[in-house]
Amino acid sequence: MHAFIVGGARTPFTRAFGELVELDTIALGVVAVQGALRRLELPASAVDALVWGGVILPPDSPNIGREIALDAGLPPTVEAMTVSRACASGLQAIADGVAKIERGEAEVVIAGGGDSTSNAPLTMPPSLVRKAGPVAMKRGAGPMDWLKLATTLSPGRDLVPRKPRVAERSTGELMGEAAEKMAGRNQVSRAEQDAFALRSQQRAAAAVAAGRFNEELVPVDLPRGGRLTADTLIRGDTTLERLSTLKPAFARDGTITAGNATALTDGAACVVLMSEAAARRYGQPMLARFRSFAWVGVDPADQLLMGPALAMPLALKRAGLELSEVDRVELHEAFAAQVLSVQRMLESEAFGRERLGRDGAVGTIHPERLNVHGGSLALGHPFAATGARIALTLAHELAQGAARTGLIGICAAGGLGAAAVMERGPGEPTNS
Amino acid sequence: MADRLLRIGRNQAIRSLAGGVGVSLPPTLRRTVEPWSERELEGQAIAVLRAPGASLDEPLARTLAEAGAQAVLTEAPLPFIEAAEAWSRPILADEPERRLDAIVLDATGIGSVDDLRALHTLLQPRLGSLRSNGRVLLLARPPDEADGPEPAACRRAVEGFMRSLARELGRKGSTANELLVPQGAESRLAAPTRWFLSARSAYVSGQVLRLSTSLPSSAAAWRRPLDGRLVLVTGAARGIGEATVAVLVREGARVIALDRPGEEDRLAAVVGDHGLPLAVDLSSPDAPERIAACVREQGGRLHAAVHNAGITRDKTLGRMPPELWEAVLDVNLRSVLRLHAALDPLLAADARVVCLSSIAGLAGNPGQTAYAASKAGIAGLVADLGPRLAPRGIAVNAIAPGFIETRLTAAIPLVTREFGRRLCNLSQGGLPQDVAEAILYFCSPGGGASTGQVLRVCGGSLVGA
Repeated sequence: MHAFIVGGARTPFTRAFGELVELDTIALGVVAVQGALRRLELPASAVDALVWGGVILPPDSPNIGREIALDAGLPPTVEAMTVSRACASGLQAIADGVAKIERGEAEVVIAGGGDSTSNAPLTMPPSLVRKAGPVAMKRGAGPMDWLKLATTLSPGRDLVPRKPRVAERSTGELMGEAAEKMAGRNQVSRAEQDAFALRSQQRAAAAVAAGRFNEELVPVDLPRGGRLTADTLIRGDTTLERLSTLKPAFARDGTITAGNATALTDGAACVVLMSEAAARRYGQPMLARFRSFAWVGVDPADQLLMGPALAMPLALKRAGLELSEVDRVELHEAFAAQVLSVQRMLESEAFGRERLGRDGAVGTIHPERLNVHGGSLALGHPFAATGARIALTLAHELAQGAARTGLIGICAAGGLGAAAVMERGPGEPTNS
Repeated sequence: MADRLLRIGRNQAIRSLAGGVGVSLPPTLRRTVEPWSERELEGQAIAVLRAPGASLDEPLARTLAEAGAQAVLTEAPLPFIEAAEAWSRPILADEPERRLDAIVLDATGIGSVDDLRALHTLLQPRLGSLRSNGRVLLLARPPDEADGPEPAACRRAVEGFMRSLARELGRKGSTANELLVPQGAESRLAAPTRWFLSARSAYVSGQVLRLSTSLPSSAAAWRRPLDGRLVLVTGAARGIGEATVAVLVREGARVIALDRPGEEDRLAAVVGDHGLPLAVDLSSPDAPERIAACVREQGGRLHAAVHNAGITRDKTLGRMPPELWEAVLDVNLRSVLRLHAALDPLLAADARVVCLSSIAGLAGNPGQTAYAASKAGIAGLVADLGPRLAPRGIAVNAIAPGFIETRLTAAIPLVTREFGRRLCNLSQGGLPQDVAEAILYFCSPGGGASTGQVLRVCGGSLVGA
């Protein structure tokens, strides 16, 4: 039994602490889920399950999937779960949703993900937690207990929240430092990175101008009033000249800048997955289906973000395809350096032979097939939303007939890589 | 027991002061207790020097890149370019100011006295760039496989060169060693090359290890190389044995930790829940059978045996009573033979046997006639067993420790002890961990690249062959 993407929705993506600052990750998810149902004119009672990806999870309710289902007004009988696989969380949620349908456990699943970097919890030093915890949890703790606690606290050591960092737990390396290392080791120049970033911006701007994202964007009513209807990060009018003046962000003589790296972003995205029978029952178009998924891990100390170079060939192999046979490639753009490094690996005969056990190189991704509507560099990257955003855009791209097959590649913290092969579905159900 | 000079030498001010008055303090050796990793040589700049007729480009290029090192070459042959690309380790240009972590010299093509000049011309300009705790590794063909007197002489000449170089490098904690690579053993180069270039060989210097083609190549296992494998260690309660259990467990082994009755508590603490303690007197008649029974209870397949238990009863021959002679030979040699015979049918198809010899056994030591006889006997034992068990995929090797800081050597009188410590290239004693890392290497799948060999872990001791 196959699972099909029949549609979906996403919020506009905005810079952290920007327009969406008041919406936490649950609220963003609710907007995407309700938007998808509204789009498809699907009654909430049709949904069997919800799978949600999240990277920055609220400590007091980490199963945000369930909270989103409840807040979005889905019936309480809709079961829900949360998955976390760093930047591949959104794709993981979809893979789990597909599996539910293919195993016959559900017929209609909403799968997606989102993150609000603006609402990342600040963690207090463990020393404070150990001192204050017993008092906070003590039944009937009086003012004297708190006073006594206060005398033991050191303002410098105990009361300054720990700075949140996008860093590897095992190596302490910042994501940007990892990208910087990859740029050096794969000999990717600053100029190449800036040119790639510019193309991503221009393509995203062109897609906006062509109304390409209208079928996926849903407006957000902002708590402070007003309505956000479009992505706000895209800079279609930027130039190579402007990009080249930006200062390196991670090393004095480095190549990674704010212009060729993704910004911290708020947003959420989801797809609606259905079995063929359900799609017929609800009269939904079967836009696309998955032919394969692949998940890999590499040593985080090696090249943290090279995962797609291993995962994409594996997904292709499982789908029985060669890179040259796919019409679209959607490669998550964490950093221009990382995308270009992965491309370099795929083009290398030595890499193919030594690392993949192939006869030769995996092949070249032609620019006219890669991220044709821009990517994370331009649109932004709300961590767990990205996988769902890519799958949704690709599903529409396939359904519109411009392409038959598409390959997704996503790098993720921890040295993980994710990939999937999608193909066009049969489209509108015919009542036979 | 502690080496005061070594401790003082860690103070940089005192170091330079001492240097000023012409006294050199022993170098601080770089070691690691981290488990083996895929990128064992991460980020190291390793110069690859190719003497005329160098033939190991392919395995060297792959080994270095796969281990995370960056090769330093002026004109890189194709295998280096391809490996650099496959592992994203760009080749570094060989510039005078480039600091080197290690130098690998491929001398496999040396066949004439003229060729030997390359040792001088290639190495001399680079030695100044070698960091402290650096490594020089020479790769050569075995002299006994040469076709003529001049090639044989010149191949052997490489060894003499290496031994002297090792003495010169010791002052900065650097080492030189040599791998003998027979025709056909090129594919076994990865494991020994990684090990000799890593911090794990810190106390091995001036040594030659011969590779062999007689065992089937094992699949590479760079992380947890002993995962799920059952290893017996005798004499496991203290010193080298205790350190050996620690590194074996670190790499995933289940260990039967054996020592004398009375050591039960120590054994239990040493092995924890990574195996089991076994208190048996090795010289008791039923010892081999009891140990074999224990192996059978643990599944009946032994993946490695480390014959480490040993005793010293030092007396000059004139004063040695027969019972001391008997005790030493019994524990150090007869027990090993008996135990090996009992374990032989239980050894797994790719098992490893590691015996402990001693430089005393190779070089002789006053007061140690019995001890040296037993330890030289071990060298004879592995030389015979190695080829004998090779068809079954089993490698048998020995480690000959030099002066290692243990309870045994702490009991040596001060003056003798100081001589023992200082009379080596690195001017200090080794640690039990140094011997343990060498034992671990021979227990690992890649350790099967050699068999029937004795490797000295002695800091390049001035005594012994």
